[in-house]
Amino acid sequence: MNSEHQSPSDDHSLCSDHGGENPTVWDLPQVPLGLKQEWLQLETRRHFLGRGVRALGFAGLATLLGKQMPSALANSAPAGGVPSLPMPHYAPKAKRAIYLFMAGSPSQFETWDYKPALADMFDKDLPESVRGGQVLTGMTASQARFPIAPSIYKFARHGKAGHWISELFPYTAKIADELCVMKSLHTEAINHEPAILQITTGNMFPGRPSIGAWLSYGLGAMNEELPTFVVMTSKMPHRTNVQALSNRLWSSGFLSPEHAAVALRAGSDPVLHLNNPAGIGGDVRRAMIDGVNDLNRQLFERVGDPETNARIAQYEMAFRMQTSVPELADLSTEPQSTWDLYGPKAKEPGTFAYNCLMARRLAERGVRFTQVFLRSWDQHSRLPENIKLMAEDSDRASYALVTDLKRRGLLDDTVVIWGGEFGRTVYSQGTLTPTNYGRDHHPRCFSMWMAGGGVKPGVSFGETDDFSYNIVKDPVHIRDLHATLLHLFGLDHNKLSYKHLGLDQRLTGVLPAQVIHDILA
Amino acid sequence: MTSSLKLSALLLAAVGALRAETTFFQARVAPIMERHCVVCHGLEKQKGKLRLDSFEAMQLGGDSGPSLKPGDAKGSELYRRIMLPADDEEVMPSDGKPLLAANEKKLIELWIAAGASKTAPLSDFAGAPPLVAGKAAPTVALAPDWRPRAAEIAKLESTLGVRLRPRSQVPTDGLVLRTASAPRRATDAALAQLAPVADLIVEAELARTPISDASLKVVATFANLRSLDLTRTKISSAGLAALQGLRHLETLNLTETEIDAAGVAAVKTMPSLQRLALFGSKAEPAAAAAPGAGGQP
Repeated sequence: MNSEHQSPSDDHSLCSDHGGENPTVWDLPQVPLGLKQEWLQLETRRHFLGRGVRALGFAGLATLLGKQMPSALANSAPAGGVPSLPMPHYAPKAKRAIYLFMAGSPSQFETWDYKPALADMFDKDLPESVRGGQVLTGMTASQARFPIAPSIYKFARHGKAGHWISELFPYTAKIADELCVMKSLHTEAINHEPAILQITTGNMFPGRPSIGAWLSYGLGAMNEELPTFVVMTSKMPHRTNVQALSNRLWSSGFLSPEHAAVALRAGSDPVLHLNNPAGIGGDVRRAMIDGVNDLNRQLFERVGDPETNARIAQYEMAFRMQTSVPELADLSTEPQSTWDLYGPKAKEPGTFAYNCLMARRLAERGVRFTQVFLRSWDQHSRLPENIKLMAEDSDRASYALVTDLKRRGLLDDTVVIWGGEFGRTVYSQGTLTPTNYGRDHHPRCFSMWMAGGGVKPGVSFGETDDFSYNIVKDPVHIRDLHATLLHLFGLDHNKLSYKHLGLDQRLTGVLPAQVIHDILA
Repeated sequence: MTSSLKLSALLLAAVGALRAETTFFQARVAPIMERHCVVCHGLEKQKGKLRLDSFEAMQLGGDSGPSLKPGDAKGSELYRRIMLPADDEEVMPSDGKPLLAANEKKLIELWIAAGASKTAPLSDFAGAPPLVAGKAAPTVALAPDWRPRAAEIAKLESTLGVRLRPRSQVPTDGLVLRTASAPRRATDAALAQLAPVADLIVEAELARTPISDASLKVVATFANLRSLDLTRTKISSAGLAALQGLRHLETLNLTETEIDAAGVAAVKTMPSLQRLALFGSKAEPAAAAAPGAGGQP
């Protein structure tokens, strides 16, 4: 339970789905025998089906491969015989996105959703009528009272846009006129894992492709030497109540594995095992990969499993990354103006500032989707103290990224997104004092901002009530956010689909999703 | 008004009718009905005894009474139902089908407000939003259809190592010239061979390529070019003058080039130019440098 950073008295504030750095089921000493047998059986069945396909002849194989073709293209295959390539349904506004993911969920009260009326309601009980029948987490449901905790941080208006921004974000305040601040996001999920899955993959259950994988599938690569989808996790400025991240959040789900993100590590070795061992030259490596690919091709001939081709593609990508990644990670050519902008932390590999700079370098090189995670926003207790530490790390780097993209002429076609997986409660979790409080999870409303890439700058969208408890105007469900994001990339969320388990699967699922036209430039 | 003027007005009206000018109903309203409504209110199904698959059918209404009240959008049942929130029992389309987009709702509103006419021409609705949001004007071709030249495009891609990709599934949205995979292959010699597709290129991404002023003369033949990225290339201010004839160019990125004030002077009078990035060039304005100066906010 992260004991080195938590006093025992704080243990109550750990989330029920807290994972942190604890052992998981995969760390069990032995996988149960039954499970292994089941897996072996499945393998056999797959081989059997594969042979069956082969027995049906080449036409059958072609049909199988045909399913790999994005359905987006199926209705508009070019007449001229150009290899069928994924392409947007209509001309895109955004070519790339950088998603600054604030994992653990920052409170809207100390960031973007200014609620001045709360100042006079310190320690008053949240009216029952506001809360309605909402289910609370097990962490506060048994509290005798729900005392209102106003933000201890001050707000001021910024820019021509007049956004109310908390004093915790002095740098971001300087780019107020670039921001579209959305205050009416909402979700069904009340705990981190389902919530973060829903916002990264469109579904609370694991196994779906994440946004970046859908973009890779729907649009293809702009730079074939680098992955289309890249993920980076950041060093934390403090460690309290840390949520686990896993590659479920950036997986390709049922899409071909080549659409999954490559997770870059901090420092001189961003992709593990990418460098050749001492004494192995590039030509030897090339010969080895050719040999392995040849074996894989034979396997494909025999079994017909499209995943074998995906594996060949992965080997080739890894080989290309042996050249492209060292160049990407070499910051020695950055001018002094870069360090002036991002600040001294950007020189330390793995910090959020460093990752934001890397995100800009990825964007320049044509990587479509970069997701940078910054964890430890889950402030159930000691919120005023801890959110300040988090904001210090997030604020300058986010500002620097948007400013850097803008001055380099990249912000017009790069959309930057900042936000977490849900909101937090107006009432205090645990003891409320004038200087200390905590906030529990709150799915009914939360705030995010977007900038660039065809998003209308300097606007605010959606409103919550005086308690930022319920949405009173223009609700934005996560699937609406996803539909809007795809739209910026020139993709119709209803058309971008993939057949799986008998359904035309989509990022936005089966419930109606709306593109938010009011926030489009 | 003199009688001769009246006569010519009549004649003009008659000519308009003969030309069968595109009507707002057929160009905007009918496609929305077709997309969202006709699956349940058409030839095969008539839920609520309502059909919306033709202008005449729409006049008949259904179980809920007349669907249209010409001149009064808010008083029209059809408009009321499409405007309901997604969780309302009466919202249309029903059963969780995608609701109408904001631009589609607006088009229906404008049409009813103007009298729900069958014959009112498209040109009467000057401020109306486009039918397909995201496309500024669906009828504007940015470049000729690329498909007849598909074989040529494929050949150029494989011999030159650059990418010539359709910007979208709309074949007249043009191509993007993409070099990010192998910028070093996009040399002056390679670009010089793009003449057969010059008029198809709407965006040219040439950042970090080894091109020189010689390539700017080639780029100058990309008559339909909207966006040009020359970040970190070795072009000069003198060479930039070659671009002056690109009358559609909207975005020009000169980040980290040797371009100075003279180069900027050569391009800033271009009629369509909206965005010019000069960061790290010799023409970088002091104002543009300021936000990067850092320091305390």
